[in-house]
Amino acid sequence: MNRLTSKLQNLKENNKKALVAYLVAGDPDLDTTLDLMHLFVDSGVDVIEIGVPFTDPIAEGPTIQKAHDRALKNNISLKMILELVDKFRETNTETPLVLMGYLNTFISHIDLVQSIGENSADSILVVDVPGELNLQTYGITNPNINTISLISPTTKDDRVESIAKNSTGFIYYVTLRGVTGSSNLNIEEIKNNIQKIQQYSDAPTMAGFGIKSVEDASTLAACSDGIVIGSSIVEMIADESKTKEFGRIGKYLREMKTAIS
Amino acid sequence: MTFSNSNFPDKEGFYGEYGGKFVPETLMYALEELENTYNKLKDNKDFIDEFYKDLSHFVGRPSPLYFAQRLTDYYKSGSIWLKREDLNHTGAHKINNTVGQILLAKYMGKKRIIAETGAGQHGVATATVAARLGLECHIYMGAEDVRRQSLNVYRIKLLGAHVHPVDSGSATLKDALNEALRDWVTNVDDTYYIIGSVTGPHPYPMIVRDFNSVVGKEVIEQSKDLFGKMPDAVVACVGGGSNAMGIFHPFIDIKETRLIGVEAGGEGVSTGDHAAPLNDGTPGVLHGARSYLMQDESGQVKDTKSVSAGLDYPGVGPEHSWLKDIGRAEYVAVSDDDALKAFHEVTELEGIMPALETAHAFAYLEPLMKELDSSANVVVNVSGRGDKDINTVAEIDGIEF
Ligand SMILES: Cc1ncc(COP(=O)(O)O)c(C=O)c1O
Repeated sequence: MNRLTSKLQNLKENNKKALVAYLVAGDPDLDTTLDLMHLFVDSGVDVIEIGVPFTDPIAEGPTIQKAHDRALKNNISLKMILELVDKFRETNTETPLVLMGYLNTFISHIDLVQSIGENSADSILVVDVPGELNLQTYGITNPNINTISLISPTTKDDRVESIAKNSTGFIYYVTLRGVTGSSNLNIEEIKNNIQKIQQYSDAPTMAGFGIKSVEDASTLAACSDGIVIGSSIVEMIADESKTKEFGRIGKYLREMKTAIS
Repeated sequence: MTFSNSNFPDKEGFYGEYGGKFVPETLMYALEELENTYNKLKDNKDFIDEFYKDLSHFVGRPSPLYFAQRLTDYYKSGSIWLKREDLNHTGAHKINNTVGQILLAKYMGKKRIIAETGAGQHGVATATVAARLGLECHIYMGAEDVRRQSLNVYRIKLLGAHVHPVDSGSATLKDALNEALRDWVTNVDDTYYIIGSVTGPHPYPMIVRDFNSVVGKEVIEQSKDLFGKMPDAVVACVGGGSNAMGIFHPFIDIKETRLIGVEAGGEGVSTGDHAAPLNDGTPGVLHGARSYLMQDESGQVKDTKSVSAGLDYPGVGPEHSWLKDIGRAEYVAVSDDDALKAFHEVTELEGIMPALETAHAFAYLEPLMKELDSSANVVVNVSGRGDKDINTVAEIDGIEF
């Protein structure tokens, strides 16, 4: 079974919530990304989302945009990212890895995406392909990777159903109208919408976008199967990119883990 | 109905393999709402009447098809006709689209208007129609373009709109579009996004084309009146492609008319420093649509170069990609130097100062008039006037004010 699917199933059976953490591959450099991935795992992260840098990331706020720009200065390509994943897998075969990016970078490397084996990345999240479209249409048919679709507060009911059916990894519920890193969570709306999604689908539903504090984390974890944290981590990575002392990130993630447990 | 190449896009918003809706999920609802509204209104008599009334009384349509005597003499062959979009209110074709889209915004009850702009013409056109309806208006503009189109920046501000300079990426049109999309994702409930060209996700390329098609429709009638047949060629510059699509579209089934789009060749297509994706790009996905794109082998979008801010864009409207592939339109490129030369030539010969964007279309007359029969009628779409470019041209000519 796919590593991501079994991990999330396992957590659910044990009544636990998933902690999903995001970083951008190659920010500030690939060696540091590898170290950070291990730090994430040591700090209680269940699933790692690896941002694939793109020149025009339209769904990202300024924090993650800048991280994409920093990574692109290092000429990070999908090929290098899959090599990074291989290195990570040398010592970690447990933690599911999700590649998150934009369609143009994936279709430019369709051969690489198709050649992803069992012991590599486990899932793909393409931000700019609407959920009811099939990645197969774009030549992504690799059975080793499952797909994650986004549902947002503006998604209408009839589409929720078809999107939920197309998501084989998990459903990513975007908790706000906005780009990554914005704030203003509307908890009531989020709760209602996640309940609606769960009526249509048994797939796990993760809540993400705009989660910063332990309060956000515990409230949202209570009504979902887990939470995704991105911008606040990426900001700490940027702050410490010279010193490479990331103790603060470890501490933050452990607090988040406690908050959702 | 017989099969026609002018019947595109299909239901999903594709022109052949180009187009589509590649956007974050949050925008899907807004695009659907826009598409439904447009499909309902586009054949509604009240809506059409209001649109055409605004085009005649506010924009000043129809624009003349003007015989360019001295330019014709200069090339010693054929007849050159100018479609005078430069005479429109606010000085470019861009107003045709904004007049139409602000009506859509009004019917949809949206209170806040956003737009991206490159040369600033679309920003001015948007700020103008927003002012007319008293709507809050925000214009995103690359920081580099804010610098080189400062006159238009000031015009936009005078019209009561807010200008947001965009520093990210190459700080030009593509980055302004990114930022406008991000604004829309955030404020989607009360905001209408007036895209400025035939780019972006479906239904925008179709809507912007339809509103600009008034240009081509007028040319068909005016050609009959003025020279009794259809033109042999129609020439237009192509940035995102709205002025070209507007004049091309009514001609798609008129096979005797050649359709020629002129892209920005920058330092020359062979140097790589240009903005000519149809000449030197490959299909890719940017800003919600699949189309020809300037990209590297990793799928990253390349920086562009052009003396003209309105053409300085790595992508192009999907319908142009389709017209290129099926061979219905031809796409060529003209360098910065040739465009600047044409800018001066047309200004001196005709007393018409074209925008630097438009100067690209004029520059292609040089090879074209040699190639065509001496009886040929050629229509150049004068997409805009050049006042906004005076600073740029003066700087290049080494003149300080
Ligand atoms: C006068 C003029 N012509 C042409 C363009 C290029 O846009 P499009 O290719 O959409 O007509 C612009 C864009 O700003 C413009 O201002």
